[in-house]
Amino acid sequence: MSFTPEPGTPLATYYAHTKPRIGAVLARRSLGTLDAVTIGRYAMTTGATDPSHYDPVAARAAGYADVVAPPNLLAAIVEWGIGTPQAQLQPDGTPPDGEVPLGDADLRLRVMGAGEEMELVNPVTAGTELALQTTLEAVTPKQTRSGPCVFVTTLNTFTSADGAVLNRNRRTVVLRNPAQES
Amino acid sequence: MSRTFQVGDLLPPLRHTATTFQLFRYSAVTWNPHRIHFDETYAREEGHRGLALHSHLRAALALRCVTEGLGPAWQVTKVSYRLRKPVYAPADLAYTARVTAAEGEGLTLELIEENPSGEVGLEGTARVSKITGKTADRRLVSTAGAAAR
Repeated sequence: MSFTPEPGTPLATYYAHTKPRIGAVLARRSLGTLDAVTIGRYAMTTGATDPSHYDPVAARAAGYADVVAPPNLLAAIVEWGIGTPQAQLQPDGTPPDGEVPLGDADLRLRVMGAGEEMELVNPVTAGTELALQTTLEAVTPKQTRSGPCVFVTTLNTFTSADGAVLNRNRRTVVLRNPAQES
Repeated sequence: MSRTFQVGDLLPPLRHTATTFQLFRYSAVTWNPHRIHFDETYAREEGHRGLALHSHLRAALALRCVTEGLGPAWQVTKVSYRLRKPVYAPADLAYTARVTAAEGEGLTLELIEENPSGEVGLEGTARVSKITGKTADRRLVSTAGAAAR
């Protein structure tokens, strides 16, 4: 609670810049239409065996309108649409508005997923037109065994074109100062 | 078709070897250009011991243990997990789900990811509910927009 990153470090800069934005809506955007190939590829890559991910007949027999996404597909996709041109990716490969909310490439912060809370309100099926709203919920500095960190939580609300909430996901990433030059 | 579950019941564990092939394909399908998942030299520069598994891949595997262990009569409604330590490919992992609460048409399960030495890398909980006539109707209503495309 009382920990704050050491002044002058990239984490301190990030924390000072981001803390006043807690509660702000960072983005509202359309993501396009989720297709059956994306669902099938995601399911296959994770080894999922449920035929409702691959076969529309099996999906309809199970009560879905079309093939259904595995539970965390929406949460997992980093870039929707065509993505970011390579020249605009940050040194760690992430897109500027990707893994680090309000990120600044010059800070060279290291980022990793730390956890997530997902509310799966409605099933996500092929053909759904998706929209996403991202809100900054928490920015919390902590001293950990591996050094100072800042945990950042965003609320990602995925909706369909008719406004139905599909997923309400609270995603937390952990940020660390750049690796020491050796 | 569906069995009843009691507190303490353990679903069949999901044993999985995560390979660099899988990491590459997971990065591709999620359009994730983060180098710690495919560029080992870079990953080590960041202090990692190899190519790091995606947090969402690990969660997807933990959820497979739940959905495949329970079968199609159940649906996942809430999930929460936290990653205690990174995992590097190739990795032999075991995912378990144990029932910690059973009330009405719902279950709560504790999710654990362990490596062969017994270290816990991911821990979490999942809430599932049995699909009844009412929830099956809701599924169709909620996807009406997709059906009309």
